[in-house]
Amino acid sequence: MSTVTSGPRRSSPARAAVVVGVATLALLIGGGIVGLRTTGGSGSAPAAQPAGAGAMPAAAPNAAIERAQQRLRQVPGDWVTWAALGSAYLERARVTADPSYYPKAEGALDKSLKLRGRDNASALTGLGALANARHDFAGAARWAKRALAVDPYAAEAYGVLTDALTQLGDPAGATGAVQHMLDLRPGLSAYTRASYDFEQHGRVGDARALMARALQDAVDPADIAFCRYQLGELAWQEGRLDEAEAHYAAGRAADPNYLPLREGQAKVAAARGRTDAALRGYAELTLVYPSPTYFLEYADLLRSLGRTAEADAQVSLAAAAQQLFTANGGSDDLTGSAVALAQGRTKDAVRLAAKEWQRRHFADVADALAWALHADGRDAAALPYARKAGALGARSARYAFHLGIIELAAGDSAAARADLSRARDINPTFSPLDGPVLRSALTQAGVS
Amino acid sequence: MTTRRKAVAATCAATGMVLGVGLFSLGPSTAVASSHREAPLVAADPAIDNTDLYAFSSPERKGYVTFVANWIPFEEPNGGPNFYPFATDAAYNIYVDSDGDAKPNATFRFTFHNVDRRGNSTFLYNNGPVTSIDDENLLFRQTYTLESSFNGAPFKTRIENAPVAPSRVGPASMPDYGKLRQQATVTLPGGWKTFAGQADDPFFLDLRVFDLLYGGDLSEVGQDTLAGYNVNTIALQVPYKDVALGGDVERNPVIGIWTTTDRPKVRMSGQTAPLTIQERVQVSRLGNPLVNEVVVPSGLKDAFNSLTPDKDASIKQVVDRVTNPEVPQLIQKIYGIEAPPAPRNDLVEIFLTGLTTKANGPIKADLNSQLNNADVRASDFRPSEMLRLNLSTPVTAQPNRLGVLGGDLQGFPNGRRLTDDVVDIELQALEGAAQSGKLVDALAAGDKVNANDNKFGGSFPYVALPNVKAVNNGGGTASGSSYSGSGDGHPDEATAPSTMPAAGEVGSVDDGMTAKMALTATGSAGAAALLVGGLWWWRRRSRPVLPVEATGSDDTRSHGERPDPTLPI
Repeated sequence: MSTVTSGPRRSSPARAAVVVGVATLALLIGGGIVGLRTTGGSGSAPAAQPAGAGAMPAAAPNAAIERAQQRLRQVPGDWVTWAALGSAYLERARVTADPSYYPKAEGALDKSLKLRGRDNASALTGLGALANARHDFAGAARWAKRALAVDPYAAEAYGVLTDALTQLGDPAGATGAVQHMLDLRPGLSAYTRASYDFEQHGRVGDARALMARALQDAVDPADIAFCRYQLGELAWQEGRLDEAEAHYAAGRAADPNYLPLREGQAKVAAARGRTDAALRGYAELTLVYPSPTYFLEYADLLRSLGRTAEADAQVSLAAAAQQLFTANGGSDDLTGSAVALAQGRTKDAVRLAAKEWQRRHFADVADALAWALHADGRDAAALPYARKAGALGARSARYAFHLGIIELAAGDSAAARADLSRARDINPTFSPLDGPVLRSALTQAGVS
Repeated sequence: MTTRRKAVAATCAATGMVLGVGLFSLGPSTAVASSHREAPLVAADPAIDNTDLYAFSSPERKGYVTFVANWIPFEEPNGGPNFYPFATDAAYNIYVDSDGDAKPNATFRFTFHNVDRRGNSTFLYNNGPVTSIDDENLLFRQTYTLESSFNGAPFKTRIENAPVAPSRVGPASMPDYGKLRQQATVTLPGGWKTFAGQADDPFFLDLRVFDLLYGGDLSEVGQDTLAGYNVNTIALQVPYKDVALGGDVERNPVIGIWTTTDRPKVRMSGQTAPLTIQERVQVSRLGNPLVNEVVVPSGLKDAFNSLTPDKDASIKQVVDRVTNPEVPQLIQKIYGIEAPPAPRNDLVEIFLTGLTTKANGPIKADLNSQLNNADVRASDFRPSEMLRLNLSTPVTAQPNRLGVLGGDLQGFPNGRRLTDDVVDIELQALEGAAQSGKLVDALAAGDKVNANDNKFGGSFPYVALPNVKAVNNGGGTASGSSYSGSGDGHPDEATAPSTMPAAGEVGSVDDGMTAKMALTATGSAGAAALLVGGLWWWRRRSRPVLPVEATGSDDTRSHGERPDPTLPI
């Protein structure tokens, strides 16, 4: 038995969470989402900004959307452009993290299919991409296969299939799909997916090389920002903070509107001990992009600083955001499990992660289930899932840390030493909350 | 924190109301999910996008053929900060098939390199006036390598570090762009000339003509929807003997030409680094104009872009689209003009074999099929989509924009000159004009755009200088960036007057004389007369390009979109 109490950060009184819950839900709607949706306006922009960042610039008018709309006004029967418009909306949704584009995309894609029911791979592919965006990965795979039945040369359909199979936990299928995409149309969309595939298999050098090539081909500022963010992430995951920071900054220079870059900068700031900058970064990020994941990260940082009440408030916001998502028909039990864990509802966390695992055997889900089981005191049950998370060979400090802690709790000190050391070697600063836990666990496991 | 708290305080006041209204007014889509990894799916990748290919006997340089190939459509002038570089991870290829087996006998490969001196301190393309191609003020530039391979022999480097003419930033930054163009035009041993860089898009058409594919009509055309845009041009001029089969242009005057873009293949498995240089993936392909728009339906475009020509004949869908095209049927539906009966073997000749009597096609003319080369083995011939040019067809002094259909045998589909009005030609051809010898009157006006907005030059590389005025700022017209074509300054360059005037200027002189002379010269008068049959009544409307102001539309920004190659997905 280990004396290290790890991981699940229990929210202080559950009662508080409930009380806060209702108010924060409203807050989320009133402040967060409205803020998100009016980023181009003036009213809800954050009052203070980090030096040099300026106010959130208006979302750049999207040329692809405008061109398609203009053409469709002239030629409303152009089903190719209807499909292109749908896909352009989806790209916009992805870049701005504004899901109000989803129904617009769906409308345009449906219209295209209605105009041209047969041989319309573009619309089928777009609907697959939409399903992926909504976390309906099995549905996305079906759309992609329908598109490929119509047009076996549709590179983007292989892209949709790659994304779906990755998330569904079919790594061999995903690799096959992305290889098809590479064989049909090597370019940014294929390189970025192939890079992710390498990353999941622990081939970080190859992942970096391909993402750099994608960056070389990137033309749109948002695409440049995406590649920079991922290059930053690849550096961050291995604890190379300078390199990560340089990529995030270059990404923001290319496209200040690409929100994930702020998350990157905030976590690097936290890792460097630049606490104020990190807190400011998370505050602004969660205001414009109220995603449960970001609230939870923010909460971790606050908790690591001993600011428990504020951390609890962020956890409540995460729960509210997640509640809103599920109340509206979304299904994402992976995030639900993380929120439950953060609230100390370990049984719920296990239940939700297990539910997600039934749907898809993706590494992140295995990791979440393992960690929830551990929090619930079921380390023997947790162990195989913790091992599955790393089975492909991903170089993840978090996976290694979770596995090591679980091994320690299960009494296998030798394995724990190896895995905890591995976590430290990969990235000792991977989490403001778990980093210190990792260090004390290493000491406890006999590694100096 | 303070930010957040302020926001919290502000919104809390309205909480009750927001909660009530909010939950109802926010649709199911407005909740933000935690995102999984979402990579771009439809990424802009214009640098690999072939737009047009031209091939013609050089009007002012006897015995030399010129290839002009363009990439990157819709370049808006002033498109900083990086403007429009060629892709450095791609190869740009021009292929020549002289023996008709649909495989290249000559390959010209252009690869590009960045010279980026901007560092991290600036995004500027230049930091002062650029007065020469190697001006220090030009902070970002490209160079290229040209390699060639003949008949499967290893590639040989013809030039390295050749300068690319930069994107034209504007008159202040580049006061004498003509000089930069000239300095980027290089003469190589063997008489080759090569150029790579920005140019006015020489293609002129109203893209809305293709709206009929989607139920639109032709009543609104007449505006050059590419006016004012630039492209990236690669131009190459070589002696006939370097590309004719066996080096013998007398016996083997016909060549087929196409262009591709390719990228290195990436393998996910294996021990080596993902980059392998040897294997390439073809990502774009172009031979005849508008094939992607008119012939190949959108469901086949991806396939077509990845096919090599030697596969064309084996892909039934491709052949079916040629023998039974969609456009004439749509025209029949809308205009009541009867579609010629399928199978359209006349179109097979135009697009897949070249005009010849040796393939049992309906067009009884021997003009531009490799089957007419004396040293071609008919058994090795393979129908394929490529632009075919008879190098022995004499240069027409006053080109007819309708090319062969207008009685001017030196024009499209016998190669393609910059002034050939390929939209009108192809529309007429699809309606059967090449076979019947009659132009379809109802479509005589075609897209009503008969010439490019800018004048072409009289010598290599012929294309007009890049436009400098933004297209979409309300002007809508071309910048009028004419290129006088005074030669590129090389000693062997005859400073001949322009023999390729803009087509709008030649409209009234195509009286058939040219055609007759050409026919005599090619010695196939009887057969080709059929092609020229419709000419007498085709008193071409010498309709000038309608200036945008004259269209009566105030919507000068309504540039239609080229239906295919740029459309994502």
